[in-house]
Amino acid sequence: MKLYAPHVGHLEGLEELLAGSKDIYGIYMAGTPDYVGTGRTNLSAPGLEEIAEQTEYAHDKGVKMEVVLNSSCMGGQHLTAEGYNRINWYFRELNNIGIDSITVAEPYFVEMLAKDFDMEVVVSVLSFVDSPQKAEFYEALGADTIVIDPVVNRDFDKLEAIRDSVSTDLKLLVNEGCLYQCPFRYAHFNFFSHANGPGPKLNVLDDYYYYKCLSLRISDPQQLIKSPWIRPEDLKEYKHITDIFKIGGRTHFPNWILNNVKAYANESYDGNLMDLLDCPRDIRDLFNIPNKELDGAISQWKQCGKVCNKCGYCKRLAEKIIEVYSTEDGNNVLKPLKTEGGQ
Amino acid sequence: MTITDTLAKSRGDLENKLRNLLAKPVFLIELDAFALPCGCKGVTINARGIQYDDIEIFEEHVNKYLKETSEDLEVEPSFLFARLVPGTAEVASLNSRILCNRCYMDFARGTGKMPRPDIYILNFTRRE
Repeated sequence: MKLYAPHVGHLEGLEELLAGSKDIYGIYMAGTPDYVGTGRTNLSAPGLEEIAEQTEYAHDKGVKMEVVLNSSCMGGQHLTAEGYNRINWYFRELNNIGIDSITVAEPYFVEMLAKDFDMEVVVSVLSFVDSPQKAEFYEALGADTIVIDPVVNRDFDKLEAIRDSVSTDLKLLVNEGCLYQCPFRYAHFNFFSHANGPGPKLNVLDDYYYYKCLSLRISDPQQLIKSPWIRPEDLKEYKHITDIFKIGGRTHFPNWILNNVKAYANESYDGNLMDLLDCPRDIRDLFNIPNKELDGAISQWKQCGKVCNKCGYCKRLAEKIIEVYSTEDGNNVLKPLKTEGGQ
Repeated sequence: MTITDTLAKSRGDLENKLRNLLAKPVFLIELDAFALPCGCKGVTINARGIQYDDIEIFEEHVNKYLKETSEDLEVEPSFLFARLVPGTAEVASLNSRILCNRCYMDFARGTGKMPRPDIYILNFTRRE
């Protein structure tokens, strides 16, 4: 199994990560937002010298280095002569540094990179590859690896069809805590891409999508179960699709990341599933989902028709196992879902 | 004094100390006391006009002032840190936090001053 771990972007964090685990095959981090940016939240802006230093350090430890430049919206800057030259120069510098792979979401970048550079070209989750047809398009553009949109993580017919349609490597993001069929998905990533990309910087009032994302799950906790994460124990169900797995969570502390690496490397976690999911801390402290109580749920999801109002399996499962943290006399106590949170 | 009077006095006192120390305009735009559901509690002091270099060069003094502010507010100054605006040298806030057991582990694992690129630790008291 090849396990990719997130890295927040500074050398101190990388040293801590690689000292803490021998199970990391590759790490991935954002670059500076001055050229392409990223569609996720980001806490650092490593310059080329820092990327070079960290690439050398990772390689010394036998770990692959991947730089993620997965802006989902460039606002057309890349199609201008100035923008193209600037981005092409940045790609060249990264190539000269010797990074192993580069993840992009913009189709134009896939073709640029495949044509002119030696780096492995990885198609981002934010390209939303959720069908064999889309995978074929990206393969034709020059992709070496495709990170499949987690929206089909529990649709094995689609996963197998994608596998059979392309000869690229496939990578699965295992712990994304996003809402299944989230209505904000494209808008939120586009917002991040502008906020974490080349200017002008936005002076937003509030992150509407973030607040709605939280509210929807607080008011309807079955959404936590429907999110298409893959439990560590269920990795074995996916090994006929791929042996490359990616842990999400570039804004977390090394301690959190290493806990995830350990869980997925061991293919087992005895604790709150919320500990593993890359989703806002706010709801991590509200819900307890005993991971071991999800044993066997994959059998249902493997044959799931994705018509929730007819099935109701995830709703029943949520009501059965999810607990809510509550405060009594200053102490945290767990209560069944039905009694708390307006359920 | 009410709790809000105490917060207001602490905000003004710390702002004056930092202005005198750094000899430049410093504006502490908000001082909040907080309690999080995970169990962490403390104070956050949102700042404008402070740069990373300021706290690195004058760390000893900033640490002392923040510790005094924290003690005035009856928050044990066991974990003091500055938070930077991601990817910049701009200090977004100064913070004193009593860590819950889980969050404590996020910081206790490492030994450096920047466990994340946006966090600069001024003081971290390890538990037995």
